Amino acid sequence: MDRKKILLVDDSSTVLLMERMILSKHEYDVVTAKDGAEGVEKAVAERPDLILMDVVMPRMDGFEACRRLRQQDDTRDIPVIMVTTRGELASVESGYASGCNDYVTKPINGLELLAKVRSCLGQ
Amino acid sequence: MSERLREVISSLRSEQERLASGVRPAGALRGAPSAPGDAGELERRRLASELALAREAVSHANEERDRLRARVEELETERRALSDDYVAAQERVTGVAQLFVALERIHRGRSRADVVAAVQEIVINMIGSEELALFERRGDALGLLKAFGVDPGPLHAIPLGEGIIGRTGATGATWIAGRDPSEPGDPELTACIPLRAGDELVGALAIWRLLGHKPVLDDQDHAVFDLLSAHAGLALQLRAPQDLASDA
Repeated sequence: MDRKKILLVDDSSTVLLMERMILSKHEYDVVTAKDGAEGVEKAVAERPDLILMDVVMPRMDGFEACRRLRQQDDTRDIPVIMVTTRGELASVESGYASGCNDYVTKPINGLELLAKVRSCLGQ
Repeated sequence: MSERLREVISSLRSEQERLASGVRPAGALRGAPSAPGDAGELERRRLASELALAREAVSHANEERDRLRARVEELETERRALSDDYVAAQERVTGVAQLFVALERIHRGRSRADVVAAVQEIVINMIGSEELALFERRGDALGLLKAFGVDPGPLHAIPLGEGIIGRTGATGATWIAGRDPSEPGDPELTACIPLRAGDELVGALAIWRLLGHKPVLDDQDHAVFDLLSAHAGLALQLRAPQDLASDA
């Protein structure tokens, strides 16, 4: 089975390290970006199979980054999972409106994250 | 047993077809008495014998079915147990990874500001609260190092022993909301953790409301509290105090 590549976008080193540890031991290749703008650039350059996108970030937030990804031919079909501290309905709706496929809430639950990653990757 | 059942069913089908076509059984042709009553009696006995065999076969088949059902239930129970073990193992692995990440973040920073930022990230992303304050012990009071999501005004200096935060700083006992119902609480405070450098009490970490989708603290949160208590204070002590530009 081909190793899938996942782009992690978060301004928190703690979250990036946590996500990397959870995903790397399940044989996913991981690349990271520290904000939405860098996330869009990395998505174009790296063509990941999936993106985990934080919402609140400097320079460009996750919703805007997701909208930009959906506007580009190269990236419009890449599944995006929003990772957010905001579990409220309004925030979730904003995420879906920006084009995300799913969301997980912080603190991250490893099993939930893996289940959603596998689901989005069709595994 | 299913093979035997198939043979019996096949035999019954052959007999049914033979009777339908009006052919007499071979034994009836060879026997001397060819009276219709005798032939009927023989046929009845033969069919009764076949029926008994079929019933026996069905009985065995039912036993086999019950045995297989019981085995399927056993396997399903085993599958559920394995699934539960997998989930528990994954949770433990995630928990250990979380503690490793917290430890790495606390000690990786070169300055006190890095340590404070690490503690803030850990509380937000691992504990699940966006309301916290970090204090260090200054003489007979706790001085505010960082407040996030709460009004820093009343928190700049808390005398040791005063209120939940001051008591935590004085006694070194972790305070968790609801743990001791007889103790006076703060309706918004969730936890207050003493910070240590070895045996010395050097500060406290107060955490107010948890995020809406995280209603209670769990065992893993307590493990993170223990780690913060043992390591955040030490990390702050080991870094020069003047490099923290107070943004409290």
